[in-house]
Amino acid sequence: MFYLILIAIWELAYKIGVDWLRLWKPYIFPSPIAVFTTLWSLIIDGTMSIAVFASAKRIFLGYMLSIIIGIFVGLAIVRFKYLDENVSPLILGLQTLPSICWLPFSILWYGLNESAIIFVITIGSTFAVSIAIESGMKNINPLFVRAAKTMGAKGFNLYWNVIIPASLPSIISGLKQGWSFAWRALMAGEMISATKGLGQVLMVGRDLADISQVMAIMIVIVILGVAVDKLIFGRMEINIRQKWGLDKA
Amino acid sequence: MSVVVENISKSFITKNDTINTLSNINVEFHKGEFVCILGPSGCGKSTLLNIIAGLEKETSGRVICNGKEVKGAGPDRVVMFQEPALFPWLKVIDNVEFGMKLAGISKDERREKAMKYLKMVHLTRFQNCYIHELSGGMRQRVALARSLTLDSDILLMDEPFAALDSQTKNILQLELQQIWLETKKNIIFVTHNVEEAVLLADRVIVMSANPGAIKKEFHIQLARPRQPDNIDLAYLAADIMKELKEEVEKVAKAEFDTNWTSKKDLVLPDSDSDMGTGI
Repeated sequence: MFYLILIAIWELAYKIGVDWLRLWKPYIFPSPIAVFTTLWSLIIDGTMSIAVFASAKRIFLGYMLSIIIGIFVGLAIVRFKYLDENVSPLILGLQTLPSICWLPFSILWYGLNESAIIFVITIGSTFAVSIAIESGMKNINPLFVRAAKTMGAKGFNLYWNVIIPASLPSIISGLKQGWSFAWRALMAGEMISATKGLGQVLMVGRDLADISQVMAIMIVIVILGVAVDKLIFGRMEINIRQKWGLDKA
Repeated sequence: MSVVVENISKSFITKNDTINTLSNINVEFHKGEFVCILGPSGCGKSTLLNIIAGLEKETSGRVICNGKEVKGAGPDRVVMFQEPALFPWLKVIDNVEFGMKLAGISKDERREKAMKYLKMVHLTRFQNCYIHELSGGMRQRVALARSLTLDSDILLMDEPFAALDSQTKNILQLELQQIWLETKKNIIFVTHNVEEAVLLADRVIVMSANPGAIKKEFHIQLARPRQPDNIDLAYLAADIMKELKEEVEKVAKAEFDTNWTSKKDLVLPDSDSDMGTGI
């Protein structure tokens, strides 16, 4: 309902601004109707499915890589104090660097191809994941560790049976954050150096001065991003919160 | 099969000076004995327990458990804490099985044993619940069942009932007494509640504060099972309370403002919030 009102306001703004007052040109301000017809035609002629599929493949690879690397880096930092003291500030610093800044680097390394984009995605979200793992494991209730130790948990067992499950809630929110970084990095990478994918279709729209195509793709990007966030991470979070009894009261 | 504490001292170094929490503690705990360590807050009784458990390192001295020197925490000395310390990501039954799983006991065997101990604490009905669905007393009972499953001869308890309401506490004390009679473990039980100590223990060790040291030992030779309203218990409790009161006042003097004196400001023997319950 709220969104219907929002679209109505948008249409109204279009009518006033473009049709009546002629303040804006039609190619800088899209109408909702044009956006939806473009969206429909993109879906019908298959451009959309090709683009979504290409983007999904990249983000899947890039994100998986970043989770694997992030977990290793995070665990290493938790395990070794030397790394913690020296590498943590570096990671925090790299985390503030927007992932698009890595693009020139990756193009020089890999050329204008898939690997370059996957590299950007991976580097964009690895640090978020490793920071989340590190802080999640450091902030668990120390009583869990003490209790487990008196029951004979040591080394790998202690990590696998206690520390990792105890830090799962914060690890999941870290993965979620990593996902949003990865998604942004993907779009940035695709806009600059891809031959297919959502970001590339968006750029084609810009090149053809087709504002409604730009808008349509933006909407798809938002919807997909939110859908993954809610359906995958949202479910995991709800599941854990219920188990732990965090939703009470 | 016993725990021997030899010359244990523990000091913390702060910015300004060194604080001696424990000084030269020598004590022996025998097989199958129920010992309560009683003392005012801050006398280092929990620290002593943690050292026996291997969770804290002593500054000097050593603890010998069954002929071997204690080097770290281990399943031969299970600890029950004031908080239940159950894992919220596991069901009740999995929590109880946790230690056995680490010990590599087969699935059928550990299920059977977990059920036996859950039965002992009367919680079989809740085996598939998650921890947040249980009340405080139930959680502590699960923790008790969990610590019993490892068949350690020694069970260390750090004020396990202190956070519970007094009715629940009474029930659990009697249950613990019953379980001890059945299993005959060597229980070392830290508390600041005199009545609790007298009800449960064969031997009560009163500790003094600043620095923590053993002040006096009492042997409680009353028939079991004991009931909290037993008149002999009250008599013994009064005896021990006299000893403890001095220490409580000493701690109070150190912590309160200098204008506080025990003569002017009346110190009730039950100045600790939990004392006096269970009578």
